[in-house]
Amino acid sequence: MARMDETGSGKTPSADWASEIPQQWLEEFEAAARRSLRTRFHYAFIHTYKPVLDDAPFRAFDTMADYRRWCEENLPDWLGYGRV
Amino acid sequence: MGAFEYRQAEEIRDRFGRHGVRYLFIGKSGAILLGFPDTTQDADLFVERSAENCRAVVAALRELGFALNSEQTAEIERGKDFIQLKNGPFDLDLVYAPDGIERFEEAWQRHLEVEGFPVCHLDDIIASKAAANRARDREVLPRLRSFREYWLRHRGQ
Repeated sequence: MARMDETGSGKTPSADWASEIPQQWLEEFEAAARRSLRTRFHYAFIHTYKPVLDDAPFRAFDTMADYRRWCEENLPDWLGYGRV
Repeated sequence: MGAFEYRQAEEIRDRFGRHGVRYLFIGKSGAILLGFPDTTQDADLFVERSAENCRAVVAALRELGFALNSEQTAEIERGKDFIQLKNGPFDLDLVYAPDGIERFEEAWQRHLEVEGFPVCHLDDIIASKAAANRARDREVLPRLRSFREYWLRHRGQ
């Protein structure tokens, strides 16, 4: 994947598209692009216990609709698995 | 169960590759492979639903250390739309029919490789999250779409 430094300047781009991205997000994208994939993984993957969802070793659903319905009927709302 | 690690992603890549499994990283784990800075809990794999491929998935999962009984094996081999695995060395979701993507082959035509990891195009990852339309997807989509703008320009497209 191309990295920020490979654009040539190594500086924050001044193109219009960049101004449309919130500055904080742009800085995060650029910082991520400077990291190796291994490092990005280290920061990206976390593990926290999710009630109900983590309580079975295996689940299979015939359809995605079945899975979505199961999430809505069984998981706490705050987990965010319910459809909007 | 600890957090998913890079070496475990490598193990997926290597074992699935050895068995010729056709799959793509999708969801936030796919976006992270493409450079998106965010957090997630597990890996989501979009798997081609064919009898041969499903059998290869089972063989690869067993080698990775997933404890699959005969019933679970049958469900993977049937290619159920969504399978959640928490009976191995790490958590893994197998998705045979992600929302927002019509066919695996179409996603495969657009996919990218990052350090040997096959990954859905960011447009497919966004389409899938938009179609799923869960609260957690709605929350991440604005930032993911901004990242798409950044990413496309830095890939020279």
